[in-house]
Amino acid sequence: MTALDTVLALSTLAALTAFLFGNARSYAWLAGILLTGQIVLLAGMDLPTSASLDFTIFGQTVGWQLDGFGRFFALITVGAALASVSYMGGEWGERYAAEGKSRRWLHGSLAANVMAMLLLLASKDLIAFFIGWELTSWAGFLLMAQGTDRALRAALRYVPYAMAGAMAVLGGLVLTLAWTGTLDLDGLASAMPDLGNARLAILLVLFGTGFAIKMGLLPFHLWQTPAYAEAPGAGTAFLGAISSRMGLFGLGLLLVKMITLSRLADLSLVDGLFNARDVLAWIAALTIVLPTFTALKQNDARYLLAWHGIGQSGYMLLGLVVGDATGSAGGLLHVFNHATYQAALVLSVFAVMHRTGTADLNSLGGLVTRMPLTFLVMLMGIIGLAGLPPMNGFVSKWLVYRSLMMNGMPLLFLMTVLGTLGTILSVYKLIHNTFLGQLRAEHEQIREAPWSMTVPMLVLVGLGFLTGAAPGLALRWVAQAQAALGLPVMSYTLGGIESARGSLDMLWVVGVLFAGFGIGAILFYGVGNRSKRIHQLDNYAGGHFLSADVRYHYSDNFYAGLMHRIGPLYRGSFVWLESALASATDLTATLMQAWYRQAVPALALLAAVVLGLGWVIWR
Amino acid sequence: MNTIELLTELAVMPLVAFVIGLAMVLMMRKIAAKIQRRVGPPLLQPLYDIVKLYAKQTQNSHGLLHDIGIVMAVGGYIAAETMVPVPGMNGIADKSGLLTLAYVTMIPSLGLALGVGQCANPNGSIGIARALTAMLAYDVPFVIIIFGAAWVYGGNNMIDMIAAQQLGGIATWGVARMPLLAIAGLFAMYAMLGKQPFEIYVAPAEIATGPMVEMGGKHLGGLFVMQCFQLFTASAVYVSIFLGGGENWPLFLVKLFAVVAIPMSMAFVFPRHRTEDVLLSVWRWPVLIGLAGVWLAMH
Amino acid sequence: MNPSVVALVVALPLLAAFLLPLVPGSARRVVGPLVLLVLTGIGMRLWDVASVAPVVLAVGDFLPPLGIVFYVDSVAALFVLAVALLCLLFWPWAGEGEHLDRKQSLTLILAAACGGLAVSGDLFNVYVFYELAAVASYGLAAGGRGAAGQVATFRYVILGSLGSLLALFGITLVYFMTGTVNLAHLAELAPKALVGVPGLAAFLLILLGLGVKAELFLVNAWAPEVYATAETRVSALLAGLVSKLALLVLVRLLVLVFPLPGTHEALLVLGLLGMLTGELAAYKARDVRRMLAWSSIGQLGAAFMAFSVPGDAGLVAGIAIALHHMLVKPALFLLAGRWGGSLGRIAGAARRSPLGAVLFVLFALSLLGVPPLPGFWAKYLLLSGLAGQPGGLWWLGGLVVLLTTVVEAVYLFRVIGALYSRDEGSVAADQSATAVAGSGMLAAVLLVIALSAPVLAGTLDRMAVQMGDVDGYVTRVLTPPAPAVPIGVAP
Repeated sequence: MTALDTVLALSTLAALTAFLFGNARSYAWLAGILLTGQIVLLAGMDLPTSASLDFTIFGQTVGWQLDGFGRFFALITVGAALASVSYMGGEWGERYAAEGKSRRWLHGSLAANVMAMLLLLASKDLIAFFIGWELTSWAGFLLMAQGTDRALRAALRYVPYAMAGAMAVLGGLVLTLAWTGTLDLDGLASAMPDLGNARLAILLVLFGTGFAIKMGLLPFHLWQTPAYAEAPGAGTAFLGAISSRMGLFGLGLLLVKMITLSRLADLSLVDGLFNARDVLAWIAALTIVLPTFTALKQNDARYLLAWHGIGQSGYMLLGLVVGDATGSAGGLLHVFNHATYQAALVLSVFAVMHRTGTADLNSLGGLVTRMPLTFLVMLMGIIGLAGLPPMNGFVSKWLVYRSLMMNGMPLLFLMTVLGTLGTILSVYKLIHNTFLGQLRAEHEQIREAPWSMTVPMLVLVGLGFLTGAAPGLALRWVAQAQAALGLPVMSYTLGGIESARGSLDMLWVVGVLFAGFGIGAILFYGVGNRSKRIHQLDNYAGGHFLSADVRYHYSDNFYAGLMHRIGPLYRGSFVWLESALASATDLTATLMQAWYRQAVPALALLAAVVLGLGWVIWR
Repeated sequence: MNTIELLTELAVMPLVAFVIGLAMVLMMRKIAAKIQRRVGPPLLQPLYDIVKLYAKQTQNSHGLLHDIGIVMAVGGYIAAETMVPVPGMNGIADKSGLLTLAYVTMIPSLGLALGVGQCANPNGSIGIARALTAMLAYDVPFVIIIFGAAWVYGGNNMIDMIAAQQLGGIATWGVARMPLLAIAGLFAMYAMLGKQPFEIYVAPAEIATGPMVEMGGKHLGGLFVMQCFQLFTASAVYVSIFLGGGENWPLFLVKLFAVVAIPMSMAFVFPRHRTEDVLLSVWRWPVLIGLAGVWLAMH
Repeated sequence: MNPSVVALVVALPLLAAFLLPLVPGSARRVVGPLVLLVLTGIGMRLWDVASVAPVVLAVGDFLPPLGIVFYVDSVAALFVLAVALLCLLFWPWAGEGEHLDRKQSLTLILAAACGGLAVSGDLFNVYVFYELAAVASYGLAAGGRGAAGQVATFRYVILGSLGSLLALFGITLVYFMTGTVNLAHLAELAPKALVGVPGLAAFLLILLGLGVKAELFLVNAWAPEVYATAETRVSALLAGLVSKLALLVLVRLLVLVFPLPGTHEALLVLGLLGMLTGELAAYKARDVRRMLAWSSIGQLGAAFMAFSVPGDAGLVAGIAIALHHMLVKPALFLLAGRWGGSLGRIAGAARRSPLGAVLFVLFALSLLGVPPLPGFWAKYLLLSGLAGQPGGLWWLGGLVVLLTTVVEAVYLFRVIGALYSRDEGSVAADQSATAVAGSGMLAAVLLVIALSAPVLAGTLDRMAVQMGDVDGYVTRVLTPPAPAVPIGVAP
């Protein structure tokens, strides 16, 4: 029995036990132990490791094997699940169950997700891949649909997207089989670049669409926000952290391993000016900018974060498509980094919801004194999401920026920075409207979230800080992933990278930053007069003293000036496109139904015969 | 270089930056006074101001985060100064680079924003919303310049940039190699310093709105220190990219003060832009000029 | 095994159907099920034997091409087994309305006719059994609910009769051109005699004629209303069983008698249109039973597309789709029995019948082709068959399959969403125990197939090879057997 067998067996066991005992109060412990076991095994695994189980069907061998690329994603998957499970294990889960929702299904669907993703990540051929792909989609659906009717409706909106993606992949699969005669991933890596341009383009579009839908790339992103935002907290964290990255995994296999980036650059659209690789890079760049600025307009913290989740995936793809050592390392590292801070942010939002009952950014405020630890988590989280030092989000984005600079892509670079700036604006609004400003009278007595919730969040941001100060810890896995894909491997140090064209040593940067904070603190607290602490509710504006019952928290239309300028650019084009497509389907369906509701079917039969005979005679 | 030397540099660089920044504040006020036909403040006035603010009797704090915001604002810049090479001292400039510096300088802004937010004064929050919008505006041309510089000098290490410029005198300066970017950079720096017409978010004329509304005593003193650092950082970065950095201290100082003096001499004759107009004016000319400059530099 | 057993496939249920009214009251209940159980046994035995080599029976020792020939290859044996099992599953037990005897008789007649269609070796018998099946199904459908049911059945009768007429005309044409109706003999003569416009016209007439039952596009307008208004078990039998047998016969004719250019394209186009119209119409349906009816039209369209792919690849895919649909659609109809009417009525029904809802989801997922459920392999075979063809219309077909699957997902999940909705106010009745038990059994079969897919894939391949083996068919039927005992197992 290989290590991969054990990991898969453990995840299956976790799914089974979750559906059997998930309602039990202490089930989270068992889930935690099983997940930890998987992490340990995955981390210590020799690469690549095969599973013992394989079978042959219709002439194709189906098997599983985990390499460095898959292992990188697998570790993040299991880690994210561990964080979610421990969050679920305490008071949050109790409340969830007390509200009449099913903990069994929540645990079960989470475990099913992990199992499905591991199967996907370890697939050795396209059939195993497709099996994992579909299982992941429907397990994801299950997780999204938990909890409330709103969640169910959001999940149902995901269905056509998921199925369209799956069918695109399946279409690509059968064409691949027809053209290359093999479905083995390694075999395809050598066979696919030899296909002609037209065939390669078809495969690229089919597979690419499938993976892009899962990843939420433009223009297929609309399903993701409500589906991720409305799921129950622990589920949202898991979904936001890793779920849609399966699309990136697929794209990595397709673009880098099978088609290869250089072959991709040969597929030119406008002779010599614009090739398939540019198109992908621009899709990624637009995916960074547009969803980020949509996030800026959200008034629900969960939706805001979900939109950012879409935006951040653009950095990952962009890094991967640029494809040099630093760029791809940045893109892949961002997967890990995003998982740490996004999960922490989502959990902190749900911690606030746990205490206040709302995630509406116009109904909160001033909670920093009431929930300081949750505030700290959100602060570190948003620093990571915005990509500022000292958190890890900065390092991965820095690598992507650098690779764009060194490869001479000014406009793409500008888009990435624009995305970052938009993110800074948006996340400040998030933390301001939640934790800063006026404390509402009804929130005066609330307490910090329980330890069962704060500890997982703190661990996550702690991880984000640690890998921000010492990115080398995570870059080890990234380098293995690069090697497995056949990308140039970035040479890294514990603190970042060392290069003649500009190094980054986060150990020093973070050290100096905190030394600066220390000196700043000494200057502030050690020098000058002692300051007097004013009560949070003792306030005034424009000369009037304000009391707690007057609402003066500045939260709505936060960036009024900015919106005055860019507001008209929000056209809702994608929503329009989606509803136009739905209407068109509906109309066609009505026409089709009219055929079956015809009054005189015998006449149609007669017509069919006449038409048919006509065809027979004149064909 | 041994560790002791490096640590000494790390301690000295912020100090030097602060002193230069103080002098720049003084110069700024003097320029304003000259334009407005006043005498202007005495030599040590900026220092006196800081001492006064720290020593004030009334020191109101709206909570821990209000204080920490100021600590982050000052501390972030102290850290940033160690990444700006000055004559004879490189600090950790080779371990961070221009891009990192750009992002480290956002930390003080974030600190300020957090501190203001904690004050629970809606006027302060409005000021922050405006300040962040302004940041969105001026950072766009700024990163275009960073890109151009990295492309022209083949990397984003500031020490290498300076060395490359000092090889062949003025002809190899950034301003000669990428003149359009230098113009855009000046504009971006101008907007970054938040003087007229870009001072909507500070709104010094009406103290009831803007980030400073709840700031007094040490808090305001901290922000004063931050402004000194900001002036120095912006001008030093500009000098390092476009004006050959500092061959020696006197020349370096001349360049630094000249760079700050240019926008300051223009600033006081302008009225004020509304927030949306800040966006428009910064996104129109400097961005277009900057992109044109990048195109020129790459072809 | 004595090949005469094959005759029992038809004779036994037919006899039982006519003798049923004569059986004394208390024993009457058990006759039908008993007969079907025997038929199951025969089916299993035939399957065992036929998977080694097909069984040929010349009824009454009149040697082909003169006499009546029954030919049982493994596909036919499997269908005989399926006929017995599905009729048993959907047997009109007591307590389900009036006229129990007639329903039981009609079901037995239907079983006989379907069995006959599966094993018939000549065109004339095909026609006879087809008519028999038609009459039985008219009778069963007419037992439906209320006036809407009567109207639907009337449309069905009209279309069905016209279809039979067309088929008969086609058969006559074939006979006119070749002088025989024996399939083996036809297979021998067809390449020379059945060519050109008349040959293709004969094919088209038979296709449209038999297509009425096979829910072929253009002649399937009867189906949705009949399925929606007939009793659930009747809908299940018609959609699950009868349509498949009509399809099976058409495929046999396609393989043996009409290897003409153009036939495959015709099947492809009609199947494609059927899938497109059926699935889209189902998208618009707001009532589970109509939705399933249209979905059934779509699935039959997929089966036609699969069989249109030349060669063994098409047969494998087609058999897989047909068998899968035969398993899934009856189960869904069973579950829809209590969940008819508008979707609003079943909101939250999963709380009251959790098992029923889970089964519905399982079958829906398999119908969509979610791996590792069997539906995936069927869809995979269909698509890879189409992808293996040289472009054009075939790839368009593949595209239609892909797109309509998305549509299918939307409407099936609309039902699932309603079932699991947390809205209070469900007015749906609890799922009936028989429906859950019946679909549960089918689900067990489905899961067993899913688990043993790699093994069954080989079986499926062998079945397809056997079915596509024209030379073997001709040799086995037309070679005079060794003179010793009656007709033995052909070598």
